[in-house]
Amino acid sequence: MPAASHNTSQVRPEGPLFAGVDVGSLTTKAVILNGSVVGKGIIPTGVRPVQNGEVALHAALENAGLKREDLSYVVATGYGRIKAPYANETVTEITCHAQGAHFLRPTVRTVVDMGGQDCKAIRLDEHGAVIDFAMNDKCAAGTGRFFEVMARAFGSKLEELGPLSLTVEEILPMSSTCTVFAESETVSLLARGESPAKIIRGIHYAIANRISGMFARVGVEDEVLFTGGVAKNIGMRKALEEVLDSKILVSDFDPQLNGALGAAVIAKSRGGSEG
Amino acid sequence: MALKTLGKIVTAVAARPAALAEERRRGAKVVGAWEYTIPEEIIHALGLIPLRLAAGGNEKTTELGARYISSKNCVFCRHAVGQFATKKDPYILNTDLFVFDATCLQLFRVAEIVKYYFNVPTLVLGVPKTYDAPEAGDYFLAELSWFTKALEAFAGRPLENQRLAESIDLYGKIRDVSLEIYRQQAVPGTPAISWREVLDVIQAGNVLDKREYLALLLELAAELRTTPLSTERKRSNDKRIFLSGSLIPPKDRKLVEIIEDVGGRVIVDDLTTGLGAVDGLRFEEPTLRGVARGYLSRNPPHSALPYLDFATDPRLANVKRLIKEYDARAIIYHSLRFCDPYTFKAAELKAFLQPDRVPFLEIHTEYSGSDVEAIRTRVEALVETMSR
Repeated sequence: MPAASHNTSQVRPEGPLFAGVDVGSLTTKAVILNGSVVGKGIIPTGVRPVQNGEVALHAALENAGLKREDLSYVVATGYGRIKAPYANETVTEITCHAQGAHFLRPTVRTVVDMGGQDCKAIRLDEHGAVIDFAMNDKCAAGTGRFFEVMARAFGSKLEELGPLSLTVEEILPMSSTCTVFAESETVSLLARGESPAKIIRGIHYAIANRISGMFARVGVEDEVLFTGGVAKNIGMRKALEEVLDSKILVSDFDPQLNGALGAAVIAKSRGGSEG
Repeated sequence: MALKTLGKIVTAVAARPAALAEERRRGAKVVGAWEYTIPEEIIHALGLIPLRLAAGGNEKTTELGARYISSKNCVFCRHAVGQFATKKDPYILNTDLFVFDATCLQLFRVAEIVKYYFNVPTLVLGVPKTYDAPEAGDYFLAELSWFTKALEAFAGRPLENQRLAESIDLYGKIRDVSLEIYRQQAVPGTPAISWREVLDVIQAGNVLDKREYLALLLELAAELRTTPLSTERKRSNDKRIFLSGSLIPPKDRKLVEIIEDVGGRVIVDDLTTGLGAVDGLRFEEPTLRGVARGYLSRNPPHSALPYLDFATDPRLANVKRLIKEYDARAIIYHSLRFCDPYTFKAAELKAFLQPDRVPFLEIHTEYSGSDVEAIRTRVEALVETMSR
């Protein structure tokens, strides 16, 4: 896997440079690529998607010690792609996640992406092309937003949920995966004196069960790569492994940046001749 | 809109409510239908004015309808009830008798609801669940005989064989020329008419006077023969999409617009409101028995809920035939929220087509703008997979 490191020497990376910008619902990410990742940026998404994309791209350029004019081609993805004047082209996040996963691990055939507001199951071929995909429908279960709400209900930090879920064996059944109803169910269970760790473990399994239907629709083929911000949650990874009965891989490269990485990979393939 | 006849059809549809009101003032009676299996030929032969009242796509109308049934009922049924509740639908206001058939078990309950809440006269035609069962023909003929008698009483005249034959002939010509136009939109390159325009043309026939409609169709077909290709339009020939699933009635163009917007090109469908409305209907004889047999010889829609074997289900075979005939490269399966018969069948169709590696995307939606961007992402991703 090509190493991802920011450019501390401020020496301009060699060769033509390409960027991917992923304007997601919670965070906007950008990745700069030549043969490997030379810069990256991540910012919270605000109310102006165009500005968010530009700021994230600027952050990644700064991280790589580059200027905008150094880039040969830019691809935008994510829900904010519909308005991305800074990009040469837009591509859906489904295609981008597949390409990002393929770039990181060419042997990957299934991608589980759990992002800020949606969740995807993607099957890809040996070239990283999408064969089939499914997405969550009108429901925030299994998304970053869902876990943010849960963390708030427990008075915890988002990153604490996963490790906490692994401190207990018992899975407390949760009847709801609707963000709002799950929050009120959690409050009721806490009031009843249930252990927070058991409830949190139950939440992770409820989500894994809820989204397993998506995987049934596209089929799960090894290897499976877990991407998106939720992939940083070790508890979710373990729950998914158990429910899907598959080994789930998480890349050393920040999984939250996978969509932007895929966009940069596509930028390289489309704009390579221009560089 | 480069084709002049398309403009004429739009104008004719816009003028239709006023024309209907005038005809009613002169004593004509209008029969409005929500149907797949109601033989419109019989209504027409009795001197009644037939309308198809199906519409969709309006969120407010749907919400109004949900006040009388449930927000968990099929969105199309909610919309149908809402068309009454608005008290503004020009076709509802100009209809004297509302007829439904029992092809869809959800839709025919709408007859009960609107009769109860809006005090309108209704008539329901029974339809067998399994069209090719030995008893189905006798049952449907008996139902159709009863239905015809009720219509005769409403019209104040008996059904005459000669007039039925004339109506059958008129409707047959409408279907034939519609099919000719339909095939034209699917030709490679840049045909002068798109699938979406053909859908509008087919659905214009829901309300227009049938003889006027046939004249317009013949004019359109002639215009297409002289102007088969467009120099203005750009249409992708490799993003040829088959649109399958729940009906897409007039005014519901959300999914179709998204497909076009992201570079896809619909070239064939199996919708009851699209190709299904004009394809596969032939009568061996111009009699009530012939009409009954003709309607049951069509493919049953999923909404009829027949129990059919996976290997011999004619609907699945029909999809394969159309894929081949129209050179479709992917399928978008449209399932309306709580339209359970179609939702049930999505996974089955996907599995059926898997050996042929036809990309398949299910879009589950309702009459709301809230999912436009989510649908756009899915459809755009499908179109991207077709670009490889």
